[in-house]
Amino acid sequence: MRTFDVFLQAGRSLWRNIVRSALTMLGITIGVGAVILMSSVGESMELLILGQISSLGSRSMVIFPGNEQEGNVSQVLSGHDSLTFEDIERLERLTTVTSIAPIVFLPGSVEFGRETAAPQVLGVDPNFFSNQKIAAEEGRLIDREDEDRTARVAVLGPDAAADLFGDVSPLGREVTVGDRSLTVVGVTKPLGSQFFQNVDDRVYVPLSHARAVTGQKYANYITMLSTGSFDLAFTDVKALLRQRHSIDNPDDDPKKDDFIVRSSQQANVILSSVSLGLTLFITTVAAISLIVGGIGIMNIMLVTVSERTREIGLRKALGARTTDILLQFLLESVALTFIGGVIGALGGLTLAYLISRIVSGYLPTYTFAISAYALLAAAGMSLITGVVFGMSPACKAAQLDPVESLRYE
Amino acid sequence: MPSAHTKSPRAASRTPLIEVTKLSKVYVNDAVETPVLFDIDLRVQSGEFMAIMGPSGSGKSTLMHILGFLDRPTHGKYRFLGKDTAGRTDDELAIIRATKVSFVFQAFHLLPRATVLENVMLPLLYHPTIPSAERQHRAQAAINAVGLFERTNFLTSQLSGGQKQRTAIARSLVTEPQVIFADEPTGNLDSVSGIQVMGALEKLHASGHTIILVTHERSTAEFADRIVHILDGRIASDSRSHSRRSSSGLTSLK
Ligand SMILES: Nc1ncnc2c1ncn2[C@@H]1O[C@H](COP(=O)(O)OP(=O)(O)O)[C@@H](O)[C@H]1O
Ligand SMILES: [Mg+2]
Repeated sequence: MRTFDVFLQAGRSLWRNIVRSALTMLGITIGVGAVILMSSVGESMELLILGQISSLGSRSMVIFPGNEQEGNVSQVLSGHDSLTFEDIERLERLTTVTSIAPIVFLPGSVEFGRETAAPQVLGVDPNFFSNQKIAAEEGRLIDREDEDRTARVAVLGPDAAADLFGDVSPLGREVTVGDRSLTVVGVTKPLGSQFFQNVDDRVYVPLSHARAVTGQKYANYITMLSTGSFDLAFTDVKALLRQRHSIDNPDDDPKKDDFIVRSSQQANVILSSVSLGLTLFITTVAAISLIVGGIGIMNIMLVTVSERTREIGLRKALGARTTDILLQFLLESVALTFIGGVIGALGGLTLAYLISRIVSGYLPTYTFAISAYALLAAAGMSLITGVVFGMSPACKAAQLDPVESLRYE
Repeated sequence: MPSAHTKSPRAASRTPLIEVTKLSKVYVNDAVETPVLFDIDLRVQSGEFMAIMGPSGSGKSTLMHILGFLDRPTHGKYRFLGKDTAGRTDDELAIIRATKVSFVFQAFHLLPRATVLENVMLPLLYHPTIPSAERQHRAQAAINAVGLFERTNFLTSQLSGGQKQRTAIARSLVTEPQVIFADEPTGNLDSVSGIQVMGALEKLHASGHTIILVTHERSTAEFADRIVHILDGRIASDSRSHSRRSSSGLTSLK
């Protein structure tokens, strides 16, 4: 029997029982569909998070006060005074870090005329803007001179500007922050979010101003850049702060420290371990669903073989060899799993695309994504499932005795 | 050969299509032996229309399955076209079935949900030498030969019993085999359809085909030129049919 004929026979047989074929495929279709959907969503999430991190550049570092054991970062940020300005002066002398930018929070609302808004108000060192890759859209950013003069100036994030001024340009206008009146000198470019914080709903004032208003002797957090490798910078910063805070920590146990050092590189490492976990999870789900789908196919194929005993007997009487029957049935099951897989993949992709359309309404940087690897793996796995689970029914069919099959009622 | 002088020299020198000597068949199921055929001696020449007749259970189908290479004898010799068939592999037997023999069964054995044309083309799939480009043409010719031209693209479920069996006859014809075996071809048919089907076989014989018919009915066996009686797995008699029946005049093929 010619190869093409085997394909044709398998195709016709499946077509003659289209409803059963469709039901048989369902398990594989759902399994592959779920896997493709999950890997696409996973891929999109990864890109989303990567986008948040890489927007800061790989040299970016942050020091938070407090301790990892004490809960999440935002809790930590407010309650700690461990990062003193003397510490910061000493940090500036390290060669492994540069562009040190302490941040002091300024509580209270921001007003313009009768408009009131509640953006985050940050007293920042001028280095902050270059560290965080924040640029001016209008006017200028806070510069060294503002800092040195403790100038009464403010730079608005685009959301804060829109809240207070609407469509009017805020440049040169006076806003009230706390009980001080400040002149708006600039508006930053819209950036969306960095590390899932809305960067656009902020007001920046000179660090010296924030320190004068709050009288704070410590920074709420510090951003900086590593000059070379992050590891060297990390070691240096930890050693310095431990020495200054008299922390004896030869085991490098983060629970004993009163500060936390983070870098975008580190976040990358965490992310890749998360994505490895996700990949393992998807692979497990894929394996389970393909096995379940495969067993479904095997079951129905076995039933099909008994139902088609007379057909098999007939084909043998007409001259079909054992291998002709084997190949036909094997091909039928492979076609079922493959077509089922393709339909499932298309379904999964469609769903993932719809999800991306919906989610991007809330998270504009969320995009539809799928790795070619996932598609290839799905195609390969559905083919293999067809062969593995089609083998036993096909062997059963091929080995039927022609005379008994013809007599079969 | 003792009776050589009674036949023409040409006939005597002709190699028989089928030559069976001391053939027997014992079915073995779970150590239970069921002997079915005993010491069968039989010769069939190309071009014969022979009937194997006998009561139900006498071993007719078993013999036909062995002669048609669907089954193997337990003992004895089977020479086909002068060649001993002992020791052939399953694949070799499959090729003989694909090229040299064909079958018409009582239960039709057509593919459901397939057209007459698809059914008639089916044996050509397994034929090693007929080119695929010729399939459709050959199948159509076979369908026309059994008078089903107008039903070519009908699904077999849309046919009457007689039309189904004529489709099966077209299918048995399409590879131009050396011999067509028909096992109770009228068994599932009313008498009018039965006569039509026998008429189709008669026509094939007239055009030179060798036909071996298996039946338990004398009236059906009488369409053949030669009737071999089987009783309890043995040949009881082997005779020329003198009062040969014909479908012409009984009913017209339609
Ligand atoms: N696979 C088998 N195992 C045991 N006995 C069988 C088998 N097939 C047929 N027989 C027996 O062989 C005998 C002849 O069967 P068969 O050739 O079908 O007879 P016929 O076609 O003349 O009616 C019957 O008694 C039947 O029961
Ligand atoms: Mg029988």
